[in-house]
Amino acid sequence: FGNLVKEECEVSEEVLVRDVLYASQGIDGKFVKFDKSVDGYVLAESVRVPRATRIMVRKVCELGWLFRKVKGYVSETVKSLAAEDVGTVGQAFCAALQDELTEYYKLLAVLEAQSMNPIPSVTESVSSGNYLSLRRLSVWFAEPMVKMRLMALLVDNCKVLKGGAMAGAIHMHAQHGDPIVHDFMKRLLRRVCSPLFEMVRTWVLEGELEDIFMEFFVLGQPVKAESLWTEGYQLRSAMLPSFISQSLAHRILRTGKSINFLRVCCKDRSWADAATEAAAVTGTTTRRGGLGYGETDALESLVTEAARRIDKHLMDVVYRQYKFKEHCLAIKRYLLLGQGDFVQYLMDIVGPELSEPANTISSFKLAGLLESAIRSSSAQYDDPDILDRLRVKMMPHNIGDRGWDVFSLEYDARVPLNTLFTESVMTKYLRIFNFLWKLRRVEHALIGVWKTMKPNSIAFTKLPEAVKLQLILASRRCQVLWDEMNHFITNLQYYIMFEVLEVSWSNFSSEMEAAKDLDDLLAAHEKYLHSIVEKSLLGERSQSLYKTLFVLLDLVLRFRSHADRLYEGVNELQARTVESSLPSRDKPNRQSSKKTPVPGS
Amino acid sequence: SKGFSMESFSPGLDTPIACYDALLQELIVIDDLLSCLVGIEGRYVSIKRVRGNEDCISFQIDASMDLALQESAKRIFPLCESYLLVYQFVESRSQFKAGLVNHAFAAALRALLLDYQAMVAQLEHQFRLGRLSIQGLWFYCQPMMGSMQALSIVIKKASAKSIVGSALLNLLQSQAKAMAGDHVVRSLLEKMIQSASSAYLVILERWVYEGVIDDPHGEFFIAEDKSLQKESLSQDYDAKYWRQRYSLKDEIPSFLASAAETILTTGKYLNVMRECGHTIQVPMSENTKLMSSGSSHHYLECIKAAYEFSSSELLNLIKEKYDLMGKLRSIKHYLLLDQGDFLVHFMDIARDELIKRPDEISVEKLQSLLELALRTTAAAADPFHEDLTCCVERTTLLKRLSTLKDLKFSGTVSEKDDVDEPVNITGMDTYSLSYKVQWPLSLVISRKALTKYQLIFHFLFHCKHVNRQLCEAWQIHQGIRALNMKGTAVSVSSLLCRSMLKFINSLLHYLTFEVLEPNWHVMHNRLLGAKSIDEVIQYHDFFLDKCLRECLLLSPVLLMKMEKLKSICLQYAAVTQWLITSSIDIPKTDAQSNTSHETKKSKPIKRRNPSQKLKLASEDRSLVEPILTFEKDFTSQLRSLRPILSSSAQAEPYLTHLAQLILGVGRDQ
Repeated sequence: FGNLVKEECEVSEEVLVRDVLYASQGIDGKFVKFDKSVDGYVLAESVRVPRATRIMVRKVCELGWLFRKVKGYVSETVKSLAAEDVGTVGQAFCAALQDELTEYYKLLAVLEAQSMNPIPSVTESVSSGNYLSLRRLSVWFAEPMVKMRLMALLVDNCKVLKGGAMAGAIHMHAQHGDPIVHDFMKRLLRRVCSPLFEMVRTWVLEGELEDIFMEFFVLGQPVKAESLWTEGYQLRSAMLPSFISQSLAHRILRTGKSINFLRVCCKDRSWADAATEAAAVTGTTTRRGGLGYGETDALESLVTEAARRIDKHLMDVVYRQYKFKEHCLAIKRYLLLGQGDFVQYLMDIVGPELSEPANTISSFKLAGLLESAIRSSSAQYDDPDILDRLRVKMMPHNIGDRGWDVFSLEYDARVPLNTLFTESVMTKYLRIFNFLWKLRRVEHALIGVWKTMKPNSIAFTKLPEAVKLQLILASRRCQVLWDEMNHFITNLQYYIMFEVLEVSWSNFSSEMEAAKDLDDLLAAHEKYLHSIVEKSLLGERSQSLYKTLFVLLDLVLRFRSHADRLYEGVNELQARTVESSLPSRDKPNRQSSKKTPVPGS
Repeated sequence: SKGFSMESFSPGLDTPIACYDALLQELIVIDDLLSCLVGIEGRYVSIKRVRGNEDCISFQIDASMDLALQESAKRIFPLCESYLLVYQFVESRSQFKAGLVNHAFAAALRALLLDYQAMVAQLEHQFRLGRLSIQGLWFYCQPMMGSMQALSIVIKKASAKSIVGSALLNLLQSQAKAMAGDHVVRSLLEKMIQSASSAYLVILERWVYEGVIDDPHGEFFIAEDKSLQKESLSQDYDAKYWRQRYSLKDEIPSFLASAAETILTTGKYLNVMRECGHTIQVPMSENTKLMSSGSSHHYLECIKAAYEFSSSELLNLIKEKYDLMGKLRSIKHYLLLDQGDFLVHFMDIARDELIKRPDEISVEKLQSLLELALRTTAAAADPFHEDLTCCVERTTLLKRLSTLKDLKFSGTVSEKDDVDEPVNITGMDTYSLSYKVQWPLSLVISRKALTKYQLIFHFLFHCKHVNRQLCEAWQIHQGIRALNMKGTAVSVSSLLCRSMLKFINSLLHYLTFEVLEPNWHVMHNRLLGAKSIDEVIQYHDFFLDKCLRECLLLSPVLLMKMEKLKSICLQYAAVTQWLITSSIDIPKTDAQSNTSHETKKSKPIKRRNPSQKLKLASEDRSLVEPILTFEKDFTSQLRSLRPILSSSAQAEPYLTHLAQLILGVGRDQ
């Protein structure tokens, strides 16, 4: 049999085994070589061996084929490391693979030693303990084969990915029912995810983005301080690994954003204490390398804890140091005309100025008037910081505009509060202000009419009887109309001031109390503004109503000028009658001109 | 690309085996068989495959070989075939998409194969030492033979149907039972089951302890329908969320089959709590780990403990934090009309709006009136009163009932009432209240339950309306009581008015005191003792159904009669008010000229001047006619109620109460 075997085989089994061992390290042996056409290691055709041996060699050499793939990836990565082309997650993956390969090398070394022992043959019995035949080799290779297949699969699937996406892809493969695979993947993922988790940690506790290779799921952009909160940082969903939920990712994003906001916009330093505290509570130290894959709970608790503390700190800073609430209240008092005496006085002194054409008005003068309005109302006792921020703003004017059309008040929020009071928010405030101001102005005008009407009601005595009767009738109609207008304006104002502003404000203040982070606060503020805009008929849906309202308000203003002219004429007439005791001809004309707006209203 | 084909090799060597002597032949055959045992063709043994059928493999041996050797070798072939089958199965089922159970099963098989390969390597060692004869090989293969055979049977079945998940577990279970006779095979299969189900148990554990389905391959026996949102409960009439959000699949592992419902509800409860933002986890300890033990008895214990924990926790949550009882009580106040002052006040202020046609009614106005009524009456003390809203349906009660198919509202009459739909329905016929119910209370008070409440409300409200109208008519009668009108139309009408009032009052009495109150109290007591949320839902639904039935809402015949009676009453009330006021208007006008402003009608009537009496008498003829018609209609309707009530009273005993209350009137007359 021995002879027969020898006769069949050109090469002995020991040599073949050694060749296979080489092949399984990706090295071409003497007889076993990589064949491109079949894409695998095969025994050269020219070598004469039994069919079983040939198949055996091919089967065992699958390991070599897999090894080539993995090794190829690893060395490629190492090569491009110099070019700084590989992300940290990719590096970690590579290192983990390298470690697994080391384990494999160790096995190979043992096998190599065994392969030196001669294989006993049936005929000539050589006593040797640990020899290596092809069959024994296949037993040895069974376990590495599983792992190597897995690695090759991962390499195939994840080669092109990087960062969070890679971790996510590997995580998808970890959901395997085979305990060996499961453990292996866990070990691998622990390594792969550690840079990612490290990034999360530094981001959540220090607000630093240590992300050179664009791997992290938070994306930072250089922006101006006021838009830092809204645009500065974003979630990059492609890099979000599947084992981190969307809500957790958002919380992570917000925490780091809060830190940056504190640091950049609020110039605050004490957030670090909050961060250290959070880390201490969750048990992980603030040093590097505290977290690993599979400890999503730990990560979550760290993030939750950090988020809670940082958010609380941020809210403290916003409320205490930057007095958000006070500013909101100030805006409500000045821009939304909550401070009655101030508004009244401002209206009184600014009114005559504003009746001039818009291009002749000097904003300096208006600023002076504003200043004096502040001085002479109880607003003077307010915080000087708040008063300092109150400005007069002249809007761009067209030809024919009056001062009324362009005048408005403005509140300068400054960093960091301009994150909350953004441009768009301020324009909304401005719209509301303009509306309220108009309403006030109409009310003011009505009061003015009343002032002129009141002394005249008894002053027709010296006129002839017919004219007197007519005038009394006209003036009564004026009175009735005035009453109606006044009723309308008062009720409208009551509705706006009490039903809209106060209710919205009280809702807003309770939400402000409940707000846990800046996003909540922003949402609450947005809701507050929205509710005011909607309810005071400035919204999209009530455009037609708003237009009608404006027509009505304009009508009141026109009524005022007509009434003024009427009473002016009456006075004139009276003065003339006193002089000449003759009725005037042009009086009915005036009356008819006065009456025109009446049916319209 | 990793698989290697084994067919591309030329058949064995040129030299026929018969050239060698028997001893050498044996050695060659043993060497070949050792290859065959790991699925590789040898010199004189080849593998024959049937194309397209992977499972059909047979080994063939060179026919020229020594016959005895041939026979001995053939004995071993089944083992080789089994090995190949198992090997292929392992390879195909280790792939990612095959599912966790398959993975785990394949892993267990792979471990077995490794043992097997090691055995072959041992045999080879023996062979190399020259100690292995073909007889010896046969002997050594024996232990493996049985188990590989059994496994290959199982695998053939598994791969024929290419089953995954619980189906595979079930197959393994049934096979283990079927092969229970062989001790070795059975213990092997049990080991396989255990390792295959371990991955499955992890999923189960997360579901039972955390309420999370962590099932990447869709193998778990509970399916989640993500399209159903909890918000749907407040709109969806069928209350699908609770029943269909999580549902059992067809394939349930048999060892869990008995507990499947419990498992489903446990996770459901946990889920509800999570959706409420109330994170809870069943307390876990080492011995409650599902994987750690083998006996199914232990699983059931753990699951039961988890179930009890989660159900009591959820019940507490709903009862304590979300105040279920308070909410139910509040609903009873408004929808079952037990808050009297609120209702009267509301009907007073909303009267003008409610007598309009349904499409002319402004719901906003009604809502604000409702709020006004809520705030000014004792209802203001109820913390939930802000959840009450109102709505105006487009159709009347009868029509609505017939559209709700599942209420067992028998369809016999429903065709008719399409015709019967009155043309001049007003807000009084269609007005109904609604109630905002938030998650998680919407589990109990679902859209369906709320609709049932609304139906009852509808009926009650209309009865109240009729009652009020009749009361007004009665007031008018009272106003002219001082007039001596014996034998006139007015006295006839007064009698009729009273009997109508008696009828409607008895009906209301029956509905509120005989039906709603006692049933509500029964439900209340049962709810206090309820042990799980399912029980709560069940008791609540039972209460509603019972009320619906006893309020006659489920028997169309009776309901039609009632509606008919009510509409006669309403017509009568309207006509009487008009008739009587018009008849006494005549003396009023001439009285007005005599005395200055006398607003009360009674005053002018009191002065009985002869002209006035004359006029009344002359009017009498025309007045009596319609009133007599009403009386006739009313009594005939009431009479016709009797046979219906008495015939159905046997089936439904509560009707005897009603008959006693209402038909007492009929006997009196």
